[in-house]
Amino acid sequence: MTNLDFLVNYVDSDVDYETTAADYISMDLTNDYLIWTAGSATVTDLMASEPSSSDLNEAATQIDPDVATTVAYCYLMDYSHDVGGAYYTHLVKGMGLNKRYVFCCSFDGATASEPQLEAWDDSSHSTTDNEVLGAGTPTNSMVKAVCTTSGLPGSSWTGTAIAGNGAGRYIELNNGNGALAALASGETSQELYFNAKIVIPAAHATPASETFVFTVRYTWS
Amino acid sequence: MSDKLELQNHALFSAHFEDGSIFVSGNSYDDTKWLQLPHKQIKKIYYALPNGDHLCLEGYEKYFHMLEATKDLNGPRAGMRRIEYAYIMGKRGNIVVSYRITLFHKKNDKYKVGDIVKREFHIHDKFVKGLNPSNWR
Repeated sequence: MTNLDFLVNYVDSDVDYETTAADYISMDLTNDYLIWTAGSATVTDLMASEPSSSDLNEAATQIDPDVATTVAYCYLMDYSHDVGGAYYTHLVKGMGLNKRYVFCCSFDGATASEPQLEAWDDSSHSTTDNEVLGAGTPTNSMVKAVCTTSGLPGSSWTGTAIAGNGAGRYIELNNGNGALAALASGETSQELYFNAKIVIPAAHATPASETFVFTVRYTWS
Repeated sequence: MSDKLELQNHALFSAHFEDGSIFVSGNSYDDTKWLQLPHKQIKKIYYALPNGDHLCLEGYEKYFHMLEATKDLNGPRAGMRRIEYAYIMGKRGNIVVSYRITLFHKKNDKYKVGDIVKREFHIHDKFVKGLNPSNWR
């Protein structure tokens, strides 16, 4: 069996995990979570307490009537605040930018096929009806993702609108190169990377406060 | 449904070789021992289904097995691995026959635990080409 660990880069999104593991926080997936926000004086990097729902509402992204809006920040809510002092939030560095090492999936062995990233309404993985996922039209998903395992995403990257696991609505995390091979001698893990952003269309008619679920699908023999 | 319950503490599969020897798998999806199968011609494989029955594949040149899981990065099931499908496949000539066994019933999904979907792929199909070449036996 192969295990998956999920990490985010909170220092320098130009360096990979293998080279500089200290730049990454391994998410405690039971307690930690990602906050997608416009930010505010309260909801910011290095918060000394967990933001409240009211804090998050006040820092919500505003829909622009004329141009599409990219959600400005993604913070890791680090419940155990175990890096950098007693801080609960850490800015995910490079989110949405032309950066390669932002979100990281670390595998401790080989896979039987290529891992892929999906987005769903909830943990049942049965629907993509949230506004943020296109309200039932996956091609309209506001969640854009791009595999950066093999290189930079490029300036002004558009990515793939991900929602569900229908054809073309997820991303392959090994850049289409198939399964992960066995670990090289002396290695304990191998990493795949992606970047992601949320782009709200201009004048989107249905404001919403929603959660959606990022899911990694992977295999072993 | 837990992994162990699905397997009912029995071996996941047994591989019967042309030379008469038999390889018995582990009894956990976490430790199938598939990659410990020796590289010699398999005559047939009996693969355990969630209801205790077995699926038999026989007469293929090569065989492939994998388990497919998801792990949510956020939400109420974040961090919990969920094994959704098992695949047992056989390759003959340019065709790979795949049997996908459902191990988790998703809401609104027509496939229930134990349902089997048989599909055939050309060896140059993206699905087949994406499989780990080291895992064929």
